[in-house]
Amino acid sequence: MLKPSESPGVTGSGEIRLTGVTKRFGETVAVRAIDLTIPHGSYCCLVGPSGCGKTTILRMIAGHEQPTEGDIRIGGDPVVGLPPVRRGTAMMFQNYALFPHLNVRDNVAFYLKMRGVAKAERRARADEMLARVQLDHLADRMPAQLSGGQQQRVALARALITNPRVLLLDEPLSALDEFLRLRMRGELKGLQNELGITFVHVTHTQPEAIALADMVVVMDHGRIEQAGPAEEIFARPRTPYVARFMGGQNVLAGIAAREGGGLSLTTPEGWVFHAPATHPEARDGQPWAMAIRRDRIALSRGAGEPGALGPNAVAGTVTATEYQGTFVKVSLEVPGLAGFVANIPDHAWFAERFRPGDAVTARWQGQDVHVLDRADSAGDADPYGGGEH
Amino acid sequence: MTLRRILPYLQVAPLTLVLALFVVLPLGLVVAVSFWRFQFLVGPVPDFTLQNYVDLLSSETTWRLYLSTVKFTLIVLAITAVLGFWISYFLVFHVRNLLTAIALFLICTVPFWTSNIIRMISWRPVLGKEGLINQALMKLGLIDQPLAWLLFSDFAVVVAYVHLFTLFMIVPIFNAMARIDKSLLEAAVDAGASRLDVVWNVVLPLSRTGIALGAVFVVTLVMGDFFVVIVMSGGLSGSATSGIYNDVQIQNYPRAAANAVILLAIVLMMATAIFRVVDVRRELVR
Repeated sequence: MLKPSESPGVTGSGEIRLTGVTKRFGETVAVRAIDLTIPHGSYCCLVGPSGCGKTTILRMIAGHEQPTEGDIRIGGDPVVGLPPVRRGTAMMFQNYALFPHLNVRDNVAFYLKMRGVAKAERRARADEMLARVQLDHLADRMPAQLSGGQQQRVALARALITNPRVLLLDEPLSALDEFLRLRMRGELKGLQNELGITFVHVTHTQPEAIALADMVVVMDHGRIEQAGPAEEIFARPRTPYVARFMGGQNVLAGIAAREGGGLSLTTPEGWVFHAPATHPEARDGQPWAMAIRRDRIALSRGAGEPGALGPNAVAGTVTATEYQGTFVKVSLEVPGLAGFVANIPDHAWFAERFRPGDAVTARWQGQDVHVLDRADSAGDADPYGGGEH
Repeated sequence: MTLRRILPYLQVAPLTLVLALFVVLPLGLVVAVSFWRFQFLVGPVPDFTLQNYVDLLSSETTWRLYLSTVKFTLIVLAITAVLGFWISYFLVFHVRNLLTAIALFLICTVPFWTSNIIRMISWRPVLGKEGLINQALMKLGLIDQPLAWLLFSDFAVVVAYVHLFTLFMIVPIFNAMARIDKSLLEAAVDAGASRLDVVWNVVLPLSRTGIALGAVFVVTLVMGDFFVVIVMSGGLSGSATSGIYNDVQIQNYPRAAANAVILLAIVLMMATAIFRVVDVRRELVR
């Protein structure tokens, strides 16, 4: 459907490779010595709280920001210092950045105009691209006359007409309402499948990253905390930070003791957590951390003393319940464990409900406990306090 | 019920009163007096005659003065627009630090801390025969005679106008440019635009309102000036307004009034032409 590339000498692989990339703005370091390879044709989501450096990385790939140190390659070509068109990248801006003085057609045709394509041809090709995003009927409108969703499609058409090998999306869905967001999410994924080019998508919403990405890159304070397939990031987070940020996990911290092939953690309160696996760097007597998925926890009524309960069980008080349709999110106050949450399937909930103030015991299976790669530190506090989603 | 009907009128009353008192009334008076008759040794006499207009329009001096004024207006308009555009462009898009931009912007206004007259007089030691420029050029051996056309010439008039009025161009253009979303520039670069392409295709069209407003300021200021022309040209050039001034001096108020009406008509036509090109109202709500 797309015309052959007109970008000067830009064809081929959309593999992005960042090596030792650092970006400083004056005194502040936005991105610290990052190494990252995004395979060709993958949908990659950079996710993290605001100010974590994810947008800076996107802008450096796009060529709107130059790295202070390090090398960026796209399809093997070094691109640092090259303008965006020579990189074969196209960017969709957060607020879409449509030219307010040009109508939809001329917005989309802007790239062709810059390339000196004759008026009739560029209009025809802009209309063709608009038809692709089902906006051909609005070609004569001004951007201010369009809804948010329509503006986004125009921005998409304007980016795609450059026939990029990499499409960069800066929080593309954040300005849309929930319904449109879900629909556009599906469309973006479908488009990426169809085009087969690399998409790099910046978001601060974890479900968006999980739903879209072949590869999720979780960032914090200018560093990559973990990069990998969505299911790995979600089910097997490496660090306490990732476990908290992606949600769905309770972080368990305590003093390590290796037992056979497994690992035990004991908290000062006396709770004991046991995992069948261990981590090579975990040392006896040193603090370490594990994670247990919220939906692998069973609740039963009744209090219990640490020590009397055995491993992989804690007792606490229900502080809040939140009905989520297929499950119920039950927040517990457990001595020594901040923000402990159990997600109870709806059928179990309907069998036995709990109310705030109820004393309950939470239990889980040792095989569901996942050992993290370091101790929990205060600096890893969840930026979204409580970890929604 | 009646109060509700009167209320809107009451609300617009103060503004209406001010406009009536300070715009409509004096303007009406000027228009009325322009049809009066001037009697030698007596002064203005109420009458209804077109003689003042006929006198003015058939006088070669009037035409020369108006032509000269329009010429100055167009030259100054072109220079201030170019200067205002690039200075604003620099302030808005090149100075990354907002504080620096504001500081530089304030520096632009420094000349306004002194009076017009001082600013004009201060050109004399620069442009004069024994002035800074002539001395420097002669010392450098580039010329052996001082350039006479630097001061007391059309050139000097234009220099003074540009000096006095460029800020009136900078302010509205700066304002228009400051409202341009920076990501639009990046979007243009992303689509392969060169720096000049960005200026031509994005910044300029989006600064049109500012340029139009600045142009209206400059047009009205230059068209209404008589002092700068006389001081800087050493009395060699005049302006449309200097004709009015001369008539006022000899108390020929009717002819002065008629001249003022003509001037007003021309300025209004120029302003209308500017607003025809740029629909300021539509672009401001954009």
